[in-house]
Amino acid sequence: MNTEQLLQQAETLLVAWNKESLRPDPTRLDAVITADDLRAATQAIHDANWGYLSAITGLDLGPEAGQMEALYHFCNGSAILTLRVRQSREAKAVVPSIAEIIPPASFFERELQEMLGFTISGLNNNNRLFLPDDWPEEVYPMRTDFKTAQAAPVPGRLADELPEEGVVGGNTFVVPIGPQHPALKEPGHFEFTVDGEIVTGARMRLGYAHRGIEKAAESRNWSQNLYLFERVCGICSHTHALAYSMGVEKLAQVEVPPRAQAIRELVAGLERVHSHLLWLGVAAHEAGFDTLFMYSWRDRETVMSLLEQITGNRVNYSANVLGGVKCEIGPEQAKAVKEGLNYLESRIRHYLEVVTTDVMFLNRTRGIGTISFDEAVKFGLLGPTARASGLVRDVRVEAPYGAYLRFPVSAVTETNGDLEARFVVRLKELLVSCFTMRTVVDNLPEGPLSVRVPRKIPAGEAISRLEAPRGELFYYLKSNGGENPARIHVRTPSLCNWVSVLEKAVGRQLADVPMLIAGMDPCFSCNDRMVTVARSGDRQNWSWEQLRQHGIEYYSR
Amino acid sequence: MNTISALFSILIFPAGLALILVGMLYEWVDRKLVARLQNRIGPRWFQPFADMLKLFAKEQISPGSANPLLFFGLPIMALSGALTAALYVPLMGRPVVHSFPGDLVVTIYLLSLLTMSMGVAGWNTSSRFSLIGATRGLTQMFAYEAPFLLALLGPALAAGSWQISEINAYSANHWMILTQPVGFVVALIGLMGKLELPPFDAPEAETEIVAGALTDYSGRGLAIFNMGKSVELVVGLTLMASFYLGGVDGILVFLIKTVALLLVMAVFQSLLTRLRIDQTVGIWWRFGAIMGLAQILIMILWRGWL
Repeated sequence: MNTEQLLQQAETLLVAWNKESLRPDPTRLDAVITADDLRAATQAIHDANWGYLSAITGLDLGPEAGQMEALYHFCNGSAILTLRVRQSREAKAVVPSIAEIIPPASFFERELQEMLGFTISGLNNNNRLFLPDDWPEEVYPMRTDFKTAQAAPVPGRLADELPEEGVVGGNTFVVPIGPQHPALKEPGHFEFTVDGEIVTGARMRLGYAHRGIEKAAESRNWSQNLYLFERVCGICSHTHALAYSMGVEKLAQVEVPPRAQAIRELVAGLERVHSHLLWLGVAAHEAGFDTLFMYSWRDRETVMSLLEQITGNRVNYSANVLGGVKCEIGPEQAKAVKEGLNYLESRIRHYLEVVTTDVMFLNRTRGIGTISFDEAVKFGLLGPTARASGLVRDVRVEAPYGAYLRFPVSAVTETNGDLEARFVVRLKELLVSCFTMRTVVDNLPEGPLSVRVPRKIPAGEAISRLEAPRGELFYYLKSNGGENPARIHVRTPSLCNWVSVLEKAVGRQLADVPMLIAGMDPCFSCNDRMVTVARSGDRQNWSWEQLRQHGIEYYSR
Repeated sequence: MNTISALFSILIFPAGLALILVGMLYEWVDRKLVARLQNRIGPRWFQPFADMLKLFAKEQISPGSANPLLFFGLPIMALSGALTAALYVPLMGRPVVHSFPGDLVVTIYLLSLLTMSMGVAGWNTSSRFSLIGATRGLTQMFAYEAPFLLALLGPALAAGSWQISEINAYSANHWMILTQPVGFVVALIGLMGKLELPPFDAPEAETEIVAGALTDYSGRGLAIFNMGKSVELVVGLTLMASFYLGGVDGILVFLIKTVALLLVMAVFQSLLTRLRIDQTVGIWWRFGAIMGLAQILIMILWRGWL
């Protein structure tokens, strides 16, 4: 089915509740529905198996309009269906929860509730979950009339302190991991309740390094924001800058020259290699296999040098400008890239052999943390984590963008869904990337590197999705026609993959937990673009007793 | 005169001070070898000494919940256990300082004192990481101790004596690595288990439980525990060399044989992935113990035939 047919199918599905259909661009369908119909409409989309819920964006239309809008983005191939729900800004802006139908929605709904002051009815847990504990009540940072002065910490409320569980029972106690812990070099906090060695409960909290980037973007102009969004993540910085530029270019209706697109794909490919090799090392270290860690990081230096040679930077490459790229691939760089890729390819093949044949390592990966295809769909997993379970979630394949139309890639999937499969998927994916990059370097289209993008971007809204190393990256951009954006919303892939850790840790050994966390390749800094707190049993609030029961049942199976 | 010479042997050379220094040198050799195998540069030769000096200069923080007597006493107990064990083994190719029939059993149990002290220390500090580390350490001890003992009994049976000095003398003419290869492998891996080296480092798996049983230790306490480990490394290697590698009867022979063993251990350390505690126990009881028993049975049968 092509995009047009998919959108027509979606329109037919929603015909009972659709108040108004909009087609902002050929790949999108916006359906305006009322809050009361939201559940029924979602159920219909879910039952028809139409795509997956990619993100929920909250919009504040301002005090004059007196309304707020929640946008539920469903993606199916390159078709994007957006359910638009409007509610009054002054009243409680009640929207029903759809987390019962689509479990991962609770992450997005909590963001909506805390950041914009929507009231999500049916979301049982209304505790302060997204913002710091000392954040004042009824102050919503993403509202347009928010003033920084309002965010003064409320004295007497301890920030970032979880209720101390301490010793839970006779043999049960809580093992805290993070935000300062050797297993986790990033600011996340997990609490695992263990009975001896067996984990009986898991919960987590993020948001220790919140930088308020989405809010900051609203006070910067379009080109300043490019550099701001590049800093959302320190590992996949290029994909963030790219997603942002693609969105802006879509809004400005600017066509990026083919040469620039090819160079963007090349840098994205190198970034994927660097990100996955970094992950390979970290994951091996979590398993206690430091030799693999040292070797993969040594080889990662090759790709870091390539990136430095092309862009001049090792981490935040700053390869993009709005409307193109600013780095050229000359004969010298092309030669270096090809030589580097040859070396990397041989190394990646070697690592693939190691992770699939080393008996001691397989002891720690084979059959551990297995996520079935159905669970992957239910949890809404993305990227390599989903592909290891046989679920093809790869924007490069499903909805090719930029140079991927010209230089397509194939999706790599595995069916086992365990940690081993996640290693295999990521490494095989690198081989595909190496092949594509070589093709790109050999067939670089001629032409300019960039086109001019106006200072003021025409009013409108755009969605740009692309495949980051960790999965689908979703950007929503809205312009009012000014020099600054009206709203930018980012949904990073890590946010969708947390469930895989929390669900799978229960019933396993404590020794497997670091591997499970590493298995989804979490990116904390991506998440901490917004404050997010998630708790175990996020499929609607399981009590400790239920969690323990789940653990016992899981383990006795 | 006799007393002075005995005191010298115990406190300065070959046991005591010299042993501690040699232990730290061996720790460096181990670290350097592993680093080179992992494609790293590794530390310079004085790094373990520098670490030790730094730790001794630092304040030792005692957690409020810990029993102070145990907290300060356990490191000393661990070190003294390892140092006492050193008296019964032919360190640096020197004749043993003290010897009596059956000292093999005493030595093995003195060597276990380190693990037990660390277990009690982890329990005493009542930190969650320490508690899990201590549990794991003690669980692991129950797994490797019996096979390790069995593997050392093989040469003892062959030599017809449970006295280390006599076994050492016997093995000067018998390379028991050739006649008892299974026992050698079990003993070597058992020694790695005793020293909590990878892949048996679950008790101090930093990615799960920080530093395991010693998480709350700092300053002198930690330094003494580390020293105990270094000493135990040397004592264990000496024991292995004198039992299986044709004995040690000179400082050069001692160095060659023990460093060769250390090299093998370094290769294992860098090649193998950490085992989960259940896997460790499973491997020891399923393979280690059975292999050790088989070796002993063969030895008994062989002795019976003669």
